Amino acid sequence: MTNIMLPTPHRILSVLKETQAEYTFRVEYDGPTQHGQFFQLSIPKVGEAPISVSGKGEGYVEFTIRKVGRLTQGIFGLQPGDMLFMRGPYGKPFPVDDFKGKDLVVICGGTGMAPVKTMLNHFCDHPEEINSLYLIAGFKDINCVLFTEELEKFKRQEKFHTITTLDNSSAPGFETGMVTAHIPKVPFRDFADYNVAIVGPPVMMHFAALECLKNGAVEDKIWVSFERKMSCAVGKCGHCKINETYVCLEGPVFNYSRAKNLFD
Amino acid sequence: MMITKSELQPRADLYRLLSRLYRVEVDQPLLDALKELRFPQAENETLAEGYAMLRGYLDSCGPEALDDLAVDYATVFLAAGSADGAAAIPCESVYTSPKKLFMQEAWEDVVRIYREKNLARETDHSDLMEDHLALELEYMSLLVHQRAPQDEKYFLENHLLNWVPQLVADIDRYARVDFYKAVGRITLGFLQMEEQLLAALTDGTLRQAPSYSVRAERMDKILAQLKERYRVFAPKRIPKRGPKGTDLIRYGEIDRLSDIVYKEKSHFSAKEVFYPISQTMFYFTGESASQKELEDERDIILIARPCDINAIRRLDNIFLHNGQSDLYYSRMREKLHIFMLECRESFDNCFCVSVGTNVCDDYSVAIRIDDICALAEIRDEDFLPYFEDEVPIEFMPEFVTQNRRNARLPKIRDRQQLGEICKLEYWNQFDEKCIACGGCNTVCPTCSCFDTVDIIYDETSRDGERRRVWSSCMLRDFTQTAGGALARKTQGANMRFKVLHKVYDYNLRFGGSEHMCVGCGRCIDRCPEGIDYLDTVNGLTDALAAAEKEGN
Repeated sequence: MTNIMLPTPHRILSVLKETQAEYTFRVEYDGPTQHGQFFQLSIPKVGEAPISVSGKGEGYVEFTIRKVGRLTQGIFGLQPGDMLFMRGPYGKPFPVDDFKGKDLVVICGGTGMAPVKTMLNHFCDHPEEINSLYLIAGFKDINCVLFTEELEKFKRQEKFHTITTLDNSSAPGFETGMVTAHIPKVPFRDFADYNVAIVGPPVMMHFAALECLKNGAVEDKIWVSFERKMSCAVGKCGHCKINETYVCLEGPVFNYSRAKNLFD
Repeated sequence: MMITKSELQPRADLYRLLSRLYRVEVDQPLLDALKELRFPQAENETLAEGYAMLRGYLDSCGPEALDDLAVDYATVFLAAGSADGAAAIPCESVYTSPKKLFMQEAWEDVVRIYREKNLARETDHSDLMEDHLALELEYMSLLVHQRAPQDEKYFLENHLLNWVPQLVADIDRYARVDFYKAVGRITLGFLQMEEQLLAALTDGTLRQAPSYSVRAERMDKILAQLKERYRVFAPKRIPKRGPKGTDLIRYGEIDRLSDIVYKEKSHFSAKEVFYPISQTMFYFTGESASQKELEDERDIILIARPCDINAIRRLDNIFLHNGQSDLYYSRMREKLHIFMLECRESFDNCFCVSVGTNVCDDYSVAIRIDDICALAEIRDEDFLPYFEDEVPIEFMPEFVTQNRRNARLPKIRDRQQLGEICKLEYWNQFDEKCIACGGCNTVCPTCSCFDTVDIIYDETSRDGERRRVWSSCMLRDFTQTAGGALARKTQGANMRFKVLHKVYDYNLRFGGSEHMCVGCGRCIDRCPEGIDYLDTVNGLTDALAAAEKEGN
């Protein structure tokens, strides 16, 4: 029987400092992953936590980690060449095949961009697979902006309509205001068929979804991704359970029509 | 032939499932549950055909299935759209009375039988006749639970088999989609199998499991022999290790019969035997991780009461059937041999009868203990050699049939009502009252949640081990993510989460007729703040009823 709790060590290839508080770790890995999935990352003595895949390439995956907890603090001390312990990938991905041939709206806040970034890159590299992509990426302020290079790339892609926005301040190339303030710019009523992916803090996802509905989107076209505490990610430890639903098994990506009926 | 494992639970479950199918139309949760169901191999041809037909329907039905089934239900069982009322009216009296009328002789006899058993229709079902197939099947499930084969045989021969064959033929005639045709076949095939099984049971073809009377000192010898191949665990006394210098009773390895504490409820449940409070999963260095192997390869005999035994099935669902199987649990679970400790009297705060966990049939040996001897019923042949030299007796273990306290579980209709329950002010009372100690989870036989903890051997190295340790959904940081955010922010919310898991969520997820809580009442015994879980559950049921009343 496979030991689902046993991690394997993977070598860190490089560390990229995105902001003061967010680093991207590129780690040796050549298995399959799907857009929106996550791994259980750990370092001995510090512990384990679920982290979304923020990037993927030949022979590696990337994780963008915010320095907030004990584990993430520990990971920040690691250098290229060090080992990171991994289990996964876990979780239901975004149903990207269903997104193809339609319009796609991606709304993300802060590190919420990490779980949708491989999908954004995919469509940026294969623009023929979608009609259009509306990206609204919100950050707290200019010092918190992540993935600057890729954002530039998205802005150059003709199929993409990219809006980057700062919560309360202004900067060249950025709008001002919460992501919700820019949702009315999305022409939902002109779309023949579309999907919306929203990832960010719970409050942001809640209001962004409501704003989309107000602007003509329908519930079952909206997808959200949950961040939860997990000690196993395989349906055992109980931490991520909401009602009868285990976020690790049935999520983290949920259709909004289901997500709105999960009561914490 | 010897009964090593009983089929009690699946039989009762199938009766209940069929009862549900005849009672009202199929709804979405039921359809979803049916799609997930794995049908067993059946020897009976009608039953096998029914299963195959149902599988075929469920695999191919589209989004309009619920509507189709509702229409078919109305056509077949309610004579909807039929000018002359031709249908398969699922009431015995209609089939057995000369003029095909309701409430004739058969109905009278059924009413009499229910009354003798002290049974009455629930108010939700007062529109159904007592001899409606749904009620007759439910009655059979009850008899299975009560282990009353003579009564089952009587009811099967004198009622169900008198009319169900014709009813099933009619269902076949009036049903348009395969679903109800399949359900009809399953019902008929199952009842035919039941007839055979009950004939064997009551004729004595299946002989009663051999039973022995064993004097205490002889039992100690048997335990010594067993311990060569097994580790034997039972509730035992640990002096002065409980709160305020009291004795603690928890599961541990025993050497002699007198080690077993059988007159008191153990403070901890039996789960720690196969799911330890803390266990090392693997050792690590900075560069590698290696799985911890078992230190003792011997099998385990677990001497436990029915509530704790019934709890194992619930833990199995989490560790073995919720996603992939867990190796650490599974390798211990496979070693378990259950000796059921007969439990005929109720302790304080027990409410097993009202949640159906007072009985249990899944054991290798049942034992009744008193100060001078033990009576043992041997169901598993592997254990016969240990007892063969003892004095044969007639012994059937008994179960507690009445507790001083009872649970009244809430009936939650749908998602919308669940949402309303989550918003009830009712939960706020626990914000202050509960001190988040997690004691209730620790003593619970069905709580399964854990944390992982890394231990290093010295400060400067990366060598150490990762353990998993019981966790508790009542701890304030149970849902806390790295940034410090909490999914559930108050003790009221945590209490709601725990209670609904025990009496709603688990059942919704895993189906069947069981809820997670097994009614041992240990959480009530344990709470330092006097929070009474049973009052909390019953209070929720009342709060729900009050909210409903207000709404109307």
